[in-house]
Amino acid sequence: MSFIEFKNVCKMYPGSKVNTVDNFNLNIEEKEFIAFVGPSGCGKSTTLRMMAGFEEITGGELYIDGKKVNDVAPRDRGIAMVFQNYALYPHMTVEKNIGYGLKNMKMPAEEIKKKVDWAIHILGLEEYRYRKPKNLSGGQRQRVALGRAIVKNQKLFLMDEPLSNLDAKLRVSMRTEISKLHRELGATTVYVTHDQVEAMTMADRIVIMKDGIVQQVGKPMELYDHPVNQFVAGFIGSPQMNFFDVDVNGNNVRFADGSNITLSAATAEKLKGHQGMMTLGIRGEDIKVIGPDRKADADTENVLTAVITDTEVMGNENNLYFSFGGCQAVARVSKYEIAQIGDRISFTFVPSKLHFFDKDTGINFMEME
Amino acid sequence: MFTKKQRRINWILVAVLLVLSIFFLFPVIWMLANSFKPDAAITSDMNTIAAFIPPAPGNGFFDNYISIITDTNFLRYMGNTLFYAAVLIILSIVVNGLAGYALAKIKFPFRDQWLMVIIMLLIVPTETVITIHFLIIAKAGLLNTIVGYILPLIVNPFNIFLFRQVFVSLPDDVYEAAQLDFCGPVKYFFTMVLPMSKTVVATVSVFTFLNVWNDYLWPSLVFTSSDLLTAQIGLNSITSNENTTMGQTLAVITLVTIPVIIIYSLFSKQIVEGVTSTGSKEG
Repeated sequence: MSFIEFKNVCKMYPGSKVNTVDNFNLNIEEKEFIAFVGPSGCGKSTTLRMMAGFEEITGGELYIDGKKVNDVAPRDRGIAMVFQNYALYPHMTVEKNIGYGLKNMKMPAEEIKKKVDWAIHILGLEEYRYRKPKNLSGGQRQRVALGRAIVKNQKLFLMDEPLSNLDAKLRVSMRTEISKLHRELGATTVYVTHDQVEAMTMADRIVIMKDGIVQQVGKPMELYDHPVNQFVAGFIGSPQMNFFDVDVNGNNVRFADGSNITLSAATAEKLKGHQGMMTLGIRGEDIKVIGPDRKADADTENVLTAVITDTEVMGNENNLYFSFGGCQAVARVSKYEIAQIGDRISFTFVPSKLHFFDKDTGINFMEME
Repeated sequence: MFTKKQRRINWILVAVLLVLSIFFLFPVIWMLANSFKPDAAITSDMNTIAAFIPPAPGNGFFDNYISIITDTNFLRYMGNTLFYAAVLIILSIVVNGLAGYALAKIKFPFRDQWLMVIIMLLIVPTETVITIHFLIIAKAGLLNTIVGYILPLIVNPFNIFLFRQVFVSLPDDVYEAAQLDFCGPVKYFFTMVLPMSKTVVATVSVFTFLNVWNDYLWPSLVFTSSDLLTAQIGLNSITSNENTTMGQTLAVITLVTIPVIIIYSLFSKQIVEGVTSTGSKEG
């Protein structure tokens, strides 16, 4: 049995006619770091709150460490949680905030001090020990919230968008700190975020949700390289995957502007005979730019051309925006490949990285079993 | 930054307020100055500026005060009132605070309607219910007891409303965090909610104290035993005694005013904050 098991878990709020979380099934293994990711209102925080016991489970069963917890009070579920708005006790010092739970557990004062000292040390909060939350910065407050969670030695950590109130730079450093803490403590961690970069960089596995339904569960690179549908393909990756409306006829792919490419035998076989209008997806880094006004030396029949409409210099790479086949697209190129707005570029698509999505359902034909 | 015109208006306002405050202060100064004088001096100074100037400290300076303290039970009445106020402050915070918390944070049927009823009770004057209170306390055999005096004063719609308005803005995730820290709802109320709402606790404490200290009607109905009387009743019985001098009357009024002035000057900031922060705000 897995450490956490969701069996057809549903959540319907009173007065609503649709499930906010619909038929959620998931197994989470011990010591795993799993991220729930999705747009606002997708049900990720609701799912986390059902795990914590703050939201009633209206259908299905939830097991934590082999025990059904549907009707178990939050305090008896063996969890620690870090909240989006920190939820620190404003009238208590850092030290008291961290030790409050231990005090309520009736732990001897000496042991509390030892554990609080340990948490304060590993979170670098020594000089803030006697400060109250109002005198701390956002990053320091979040570290106190982490400290409060880690001292209790719980087997399961729940984190509800813990970094969303921090600035970009602090978010990156806190990401590293949380990952490090997870490795050191070995507690199972469920992390909710709307930021796919956080999910990709921290999680062992990612659960992508939309409208209360799980879209795909997998390792970060599985989701990146093998999205099961257009939503996952578009949600994971920055800049997001390029999508073009195409008409597939045998091995021939015709774009809206009349351009054509020919599919390799391997790609055509993966399409399993799907034909007609569909959406082609390709990531920016899988568009190979050949150069301004230059035709490719080989594979000339699959070379396409477009005019650059915008550029983004990222430092380590450049993003080249262009209009093609009636859609706006972006190619990620190395920092040495410089192009100007108005340049005409030639490019090819990496054949093995093409995705074809059903126009209506968004299913990725290339990932169908 | 104020403009020149605004500054001029501010100065005029300050001047008007100063004049007004002198009007309000002059009876207090007069009372204080004359409370140290014998009756003969009070009468002779009556129509002169000396009426506002206390005598030079010397022999007999505190005579009026000493006679009040030694010849009457007034100190005991003040002690009684302080005791009733202390008990009522604690009970007010607990009972009205819990009611306010329930109305702010706990979901139960007809919660909003209950709140409306409590708001409507705010407009009912105390005098209209005092007869009913008296009859209930008399039927319960609690006349002339501390319990009978205190019981009807505990629940106060205004205090419930004050607490509710402050508690409604307390963030819910602090309660959720406390639950995971093994803190039950009762402990949460006393160790988290009240300390996080110090301003409203101070406001309710001050209002309760002032109500008890200044109340005359209710204690005069409930108490007949002189051992239990409050300061206001004591003040009335001393001042209406024909043997009491004018100086003694002014001394006893001064004594009864002192705690109010002390409390108000210590907590005036909290009172203003407490009353003005009763609108919902994100915590």
